[in-house]
Amino acid sequence: MNVISCSSNTLKVLYDISGVEVGQHFYWQIGGLQVHAQVLITSWVVIAILLGSALIAVRNPQTIPTAGQNFFEYVLEFIRDVSKTQIGEEYGPWVPFIGTMFLFIFVSNWSGALLPWKIIQLPHGELAAPTNDINTTVALALLTSVAYFYAGLSKKGLGYFSKYIQPTPILLPINILEDFTKPLSLSFRLFGNILADELVVVVLVSLVPLVVPIPVMFLGLFTSGIQALIFATLAAAYIGESMEGHH
Amino acid sequence: MANMIVASSNAKPLTPPTTTFQQHSPKPRLQIPQLSFPNKITQKLSSVATAATTLKSLSLLAVSSLTFAPPSLAAEIEKAALFDFDLTLPIIAAEFLLLMFALDKVYFSPLGNFMDQRDAEIKEKLNSVKDTSSEVKQLEDQAAAIMRAARAEISAALTQMKKETQVEVEKILAEGRKKVEAELQEALADVEKQKEATIKALDSQIAALSQDIVKKVLPVK
Repeated sequence: MNVISCSSNTLKVLYDISGVEVGQHFYWQIGGLQVHAQVLITSWVVIAILLGSALIAVRNPQTIPTAGQNFFEYVLEFIRDVSKTQIGEEYGPWVPFIGTMFLFIFVSNWSGALLPWKIIQLPHGELAAPTNDINTTVALALLTSVAYFYAGLSKKGLGYFSKYIQPTPILLPINILEDFTKPLSLSFRLFGNILADELVVVVLVSLVPLVVPIPVMFLGLFTSGIQALIFATLAAAYIGESMEGHH
Repeated sequence: MANMIVASSNAKPLTPPTTTFQQHSPKPRLQIPQLSFPNKITQKLSSVATAATTLKSLSLLAVSSLTFAPPSLAAEIEKAALFDFDLTLPIIAAEFLLLMFALDKVYFSPLGNFMDQRDAEIKEKLNSVKDTSSEVKQLEDQAAAIMRAARAEISAALTQMKKETQVEVEKILAEGRKKVEAELQEALADVEKQKEATIKALDSQIAALSQDIVKKVLPVK
């Protein structure tokens, strides 16, 4: 028992000094409802970065692109490529959705890893990547659900729902279940990865402040990019799946 | 970056303990790990000497404490609102939609259209370049034909000129030969005349000489 109490105290100490603030939020009240201010603030910064850089780089496009324009053209081609492989020939109208999904998640994740948010002290909670809050990831996942329902319904009308009994009506429950598992897996994958990544870095930094966390930080950058790509690709795949015709 | 995170994480105990978890936590018994941070100023320097060794024991403790974590602590951690859904969700969704429209206006549409237009232009230019290449070939053929014609003309003129000069040369040569022959003939005739004259002269001399010889050989009786 002595061992247990001692170790629990140690864990609390570790918890305190490492500054791991899991699930602590800086609340604002809006009309009796609460919002997580730290998420909103960082998301505004992310949006400002995206819009600002796009505005500057694409203000007047040159035939022979400048460095910034070249980069944005490369990104746009990458997004188009992803959309085209997942959705098919009718990918055009979905490029803004897929592209914004990718860029928002990517810049959010990297901002959590690269921007020194923690210099700014909040009264409670701390600034971090917007994607390490479950609200953000669920919002994005639900938007993806809405998007693929919209894609299917606008393409095929009510005939879209025939896909639920498509191979055989026996699969009806599983097909319905899929509509719930898709946003669930999307949101939790992103949330879990980003939160875990930041936690690992913070805990490692608190234990060994020098050198050791650096490889983990690079790994974090890598996973952040991969997660953004996975989210965007899966969103595009769901949209393409609901748009493709039945044979 | 590590330092900044460390600095902020150090500063945290200074903020008023507002969460349930921090309110429950007793005063930390182990303060050594905080000393290992370089920019720590406000901390008590109670156990500097043991700082190095405690890092090891700390990690051991961490491992052991994770294995023996009491359920009460887990419950306290769960009280922290990890899955706290509130108005943030619809606000983020709305922000995302706004960002999508804004980025579409600023980035995707204009740059996409521009790139497509440029692609089309480049393709057009490439095609026109292919057309001019056929034109160039035609022109080259024309040039070659002209060259061939010119060469033929020149060679014809050359042969004609050669013939003309040949004829002229032959004429001059024949004339010269005639002249030379005529002169030769004349000279020969001259020589013949002189020969005859000389022979005539010699004849008279021979007669006189033979008379002299006869006179000398046959003395007059």
